[in-house]
Amino acid sequence: MTHRAAIVGAGHTRFGVLDEGPRSLLRSAVEAAFASVDRSADPRDVREAFLATLGFGGHQIGNSAAALAEEAGLVGIPVTRVENACASGGFALRSAIGALASGVSPLVLVVGMEKMTDVSNARRRYWLGVSGDTEWERAAGLTFAGVYGLIASRYFAEHGDASEALVEVAVKNHANGALNPNAHFQKAVSREQVRAAPRVARPLGLYDCCPVSDGAAALLLAPPELAHRYTDAPVYVDATGAGTDYLAVQERRDLTRFRATQRAAHEAFRWAGWHRSDVSFLEVHDCFTIAELLALEDLGFATPGEAAALTLSGATRRTGRIPVNPDGGLKAKGHPIGATGVSQAYEVFLQLRRAAGTRQVPNAEHALTHNVGGAGATAAVALFSVG
Amino acid sequence: MLMRRVARIGAYRPQGVTGSPPFPLPDEDEFTLAATAVERAWSGERGEPGPVEVHLLGEFPAVADWGFAALLGRAANVTRHSGEAAELTNTLRAVEEGEGGPALLVAVELPGTKPKKSARTPARAGGAVAFRLDTTEEPHPFTLPKMAVDRTAVATALKVGEGARELPGSVVLVGDWEQGTEAGLAVRENPPRERVEVDTRAVSEGAYVPHPRYLENLPSRWRFLAEACQACQGTTFPARGVCRRCGRRDALTTVSLPYDGGRVVAVTTVGKGGQPTEFDAQVESQGPYDVALVELARGMRVTLQVTNARAGTLHVGDRVNTMLRRLYPMEGEWRYGRKAVPASTGTASKLPS
Repeated sequence: MTHRAAIVGAGHTRFGVLDEGPRSLLRSAVEAAFASVDRSADPRDVREAFLATLGFGGHQIGNSAAALAEEAGLVGIPVTRVENACASGGFALRSAIGALASGVSPLVLVVGMEKMTDVSNARRRYWLGVSGDTEWERAAGLTFAGVYGLIASRYFAEHGDASEALVEVAVKNHANGALNPNAHFQKAVSREQVRAAPRVARPLGLYDCCPVSDGAAALLLAPPELAHRYTDAPVYVDATGAGTDYLAVQERRDLTRFRATQRAAHEAFRWAGWHRSDVSFLEVHDCFTIAELLALEDLGFATPGEAAALTLSGATRRTGRIPVNPDGGLKAKGHPIGATGVSQAYEVFLQLRRAAGTRQVPNAEHALTHNVGGAGATAAVALFSVG
Repeated sequence: MLMRRVARIGAYRPQGVTGSPPFPLPDEDEFTLAATAVERAWSGERGEPGPVEVHLLGEFPAVADWGFAALLGRAANVTRHSGEAAELTNTLRAVEEGEGGPALLVAVELPGTKPKKSARTPARAGGAVAFRLDTTEEPHPFTLPKMAVDRTAVATALKVGEGARELPGSVVLVGDWEQGTEAGLAVRENPPRERVEVDTRAVSEGAYVPHPRYLENLPSRWRFLAEACQACQGTTFPARGVCRRCGRRDALTTVSLPYDGGRVVAVTTVGKGGQPTEFDAQVESQGPYDVALVELARGMRVTLQVTNARAGTLHVGDRVNTMLRRLYPMEGEWRYGRKAVPASTGTASKLPS
């Protein structure tokens, strides 16, 4: 999608095990987004909204759009819930840009939210599997950890043992998360801790998996020509891309490439006319550490099999050549399913405005977000810049 | 008179876990043992038209009423027989003399899923045998096993070989049928043993797959049904009525992918906490399990849980065979599907064909 949009405000709640319920989270994220607008935004300027949420645990599984309208003080405007599993946020952003492109103006609101920690452990594990294939993978005894375990097993078989690169992904993202006051985990971990953790789905261990978190994030989008009504420092979405793949990995020819990501990246870079080398940093979907390696390759920042070496070289650290997940990623920041894709754009909004504090990426000018649903069945990519 | 003759015999006995005594595993029941025997007796022909008579001897769960038809991909008229001596003799005669069409005589015995320390349970207990009968011109050298009744039969069997020692239940397999030297069915006059039933309602938090949805793609899950496109020569698995290569819907014929000899493309060991909730009881009682992505034929892959093997022992590149097993209980019934077994344990029957 080539239509450009300007982010003029962005809000974010704390991610983690929170006391707030789903409605409070919606309200907090929207309030924070309005509060972030430099020249204030009249809520009546918001003419449409999109809500990214899985409805985890079954709270308000249908028609949650109206709940967002209520909590945002926007009852009356059209609101649409977008549900593409963990990629809901990235697709909601794309839908919002589509609305702007079709003439909705001056503001469109995007909110991503998930409340995951108020259900029983058994019910949580039930919900964690509902976005995957149930007839084959689930029936064989796999949740997402197991599917990514299969993928990691194949990656190792094709490219050699990449365990140490996975350890590096976990250590790096925890180090970044330690600098993010909104992160679920704000504590660095040692390589030894990561290596010694119990295995959840061989070769993946506990520290290879993102946590189950509550949280919400919100964005206010305007057409580029109206952005300066609201702020002198808008962040532009220059292009987006998206794609789908077979739900079950058994139907994919290649287990170690996500074609949905490849397609999404190809589309976004083509529309934006960018080279990979233009990108200052990446926010990628590291639901499991192996997913960060796949992302680097599928997005075109490493050739097949080389993401491990790139990661071990330190290039993806916050101060490296191509920083990846300066906010801690899903791994440390947390992964409230519907919120994640919106949260990635929030981080870009801070970084490109040089407002990321201690975790600021040096010389951040162009950024990429990458949001994946399930084990690669849906993917959305967006490219951002300040001019 | 048109007589049916034994055309082929298939047999299966529990293999146990590699390196351990061959006891039945918790994912095996009378239906899964019989399903493997039936697949071996039927051999290759899947999804043909025309009904088959299925005569069942032994204590089969409810799934047997429709499960054999699903397994073979054809209509089946299922008759359950009590296994009592008098009826069995009549049954065998009726099956031999029955007119037209193929028939299956399936006998099963499963003394229990857990070995007892009181050593009366034999080391190799339980099993299933399936006789495929047809009005064939080239009958199998076996004739339908001659029945011997009560203790004499058991004594004879003990002399012949293993498999028929003090098994509880009403139907007993006798003879060293795996070697093809003898095959037989015997009747015990003992009352059926008391069975321990698993509470299949126990799982309520599992990914909810209602019965109609369970049945929806059963041919692909139980029989590995795929579709070959006559227009572009592409193969699509699982079958879903549209060619994945060219998108055409009008040039598809069904084919079955091989059950045995698949190659492991990827494998993971699901540890405690990594399992879907419907597998909680299994992990609690048996520990972690492996799940493998298996290539059945070029480019045709399926995700299967691994059984008859210790977790963590299967590797990329290994060969596996597949068998119908219990997956998990839901809606008051067991859900069944194919699982992978290491090719070294799940070898095909040695019976002459």
